[in-house]
Amino acid sequence: MTGESRTRPAGALAPSETAFTLLVGSVLDYGIFMLDPGGHVSSWNAGAERIKGYRAEDIIGKHFSIFYPPEDIAARKPHLELEAAVADGRLEDEGWRIRKDGSRFWANVVITALFDATGELRGFGKVTRDMTERRAAEQALTERRRLFTHLVQAQELERRRIAWDVHDDSIQAMVAVGMRLQLLADRVGEPFAHELSRLDTSVREAVGRLRTLSFRLQPPGIDRHGLVEALSQHLNEVVGGWGLETSLKHSLAREPAPETAITIFRVVQEALLNVRKHARARAVRVSVASESRGLLVRVADDGTGQPAVTHKLHEHFGLMEMRERAETAGGWWTLHSAPGVGSTVEFWVPDLPTALLDEPLPGAADMVAGRLTVPDHPAVVRHPAVPEPPIAHDSPTAPEGPP
Amino acid sequence: MTRPATPGTPVRVLICDDNDMLRAALAEVVQAQPDLVLAGSAADADQAVRLAAAVRPHVVVLDVRFPGGGPHTAEHVIRTVPGVRILVFSAYGDHGARSEMAAAGVAGYLVKGITNAHLLAEIRALGAQALAALSRSD
Repeated sequence: MTGESRTRPAGALAPSETAFTLLVGSVLDYGIFMLDPGGHVSSWNAGAERIKGYRAEDIIGKHFSIFYPPEDIAARKPHLELEAAVADGRLEDEGWRIRKDGSRFWANVVITALFDATGELRGFGKVTRDMTERRAAEQALTERRRLFTHLVQAQELERRRIAWDVHDDSIQAMVAVGMRLQLLADRVGEPFAHELSRLDTSVREAVGRLRTLSFRLQPPGIDRHGLVEALSQHLNEVVGGWGLETSLKHSLAREPAPETAITIFRVVQEALLNVRKHARARAVRVSVASESRGLLVRVADDGTGQPAVTHKLHEHFGLMEMRERAETAGGWWTLHSAPGVGSTVEFWVPDLPTALLDEPLPGAADMVAGRLTVPDHPAVVRHPAVPEPPIAHDSPTAPEGPP
Repeated sequence: MTRPATPGTPVRVLICDDNDMLRAALAEVVQAQPDLVLAGSAADADQAVRLAAAVRPHVVVLDVRFPGGGPHTAEHVIRTVPGVRILVFSAYGDHGARSEMAAAGVAGYLVKGITNAHLLAEIRALGAQALAALSRSD
């Protein structure tokens, strides 16, 4: 748009009755008008009237600083913008402007200096767009992103707390019960000793399951190793241990934002758990690929392909959780099942850069990928070590020799 | 059940765990053994260090995540009590916890959930080491 005024540089700047002038005059989406070399409005179009609220007769002859908020006028912004346009030929700016009724709108403004053939400044062409809605949409997106980030972090923190509670309290209590049962078995003799040993075995099996649970709730270490490595480790160390053959295919354009990566990891983790529980599968294939400014993920098994829909509440909850996680991230989630072929969980999540929190964003161009660290929680300090994959509950670990 | 490692001299055991139920269960298990003596039980590092200096245990059963610091407690007790052997008894079996405790000079590491028999065998083995070390220094 800005180049067009430059095609008519010489002679009077007064509009002539050409088709082109008619076009400029009638465009509603852009405010297109001219300023004289001193910055006074010398022409006006329908778009400018629509955006700014002034009719041509109200505004022609007025200085264009009337469109700026007081703080910009105090900073001599209108003046500086004209100077910049003269120096560089054009100037582009985004910022608040004032309508005739005093209300503000977010404007994208291009000021083009108009020189004649002799190089003399004849005035300025000004094109103004009302970006208020786009800005609101961007802010809504930023806000959504911020909430998503908080949600993922809050979920992870909560999981960690539960993991520590299980580790520090439930497991300890059950270990103590097991020790007492063994003690009792030593004291009472048969036939009770046998029954007590069986009880003790059950208790220690439960301890093993609690260890597995607490391990599963732990952060997957994506912040240290990245998504692919975290998935690969999970497949090798955990899923492999279930007796499933695993494979991981990945083609990532770049490492996704931390919250996106955690969302993907948690959904895959849940999908794999589902395969273990229901599919009676031999193998499971996981693939992660960059697609459509996001990541497309598949978890496919070669099991019975029975629909994993179940009436058991906690299992239904697993499916719901997967879908909710993907949708909260702004993506989608599906489950296909084909009897005799297997089931596939497929989901896509967008990978938007994480916006810097609490930073008002004038435009999307200013969005910066910000990595967030979960604030230290007292429990974090108390438990620097992350438990390893569950160890068999009844196979004691070899003690370390003296150093 | 294995026989006492050093007949005649009971092994003095100090128990350090901040979980009340576990401390009580451990104490009962130790007390039920004729060749072991429960020398005391501590719920935090200060208590553990004070008790260790007073009762001079042969074996200290110590939690890693112990209020006041598992490694710190281990180092302190080893400095104060000649010949003492520290046996870690922890809910954490990860590499980080193991190497942290190994650096502090512990003699053994067991993960909670093992059988009483296994735990007692380890206590007896370390007790025998401690008694042997003491008789050498006499």
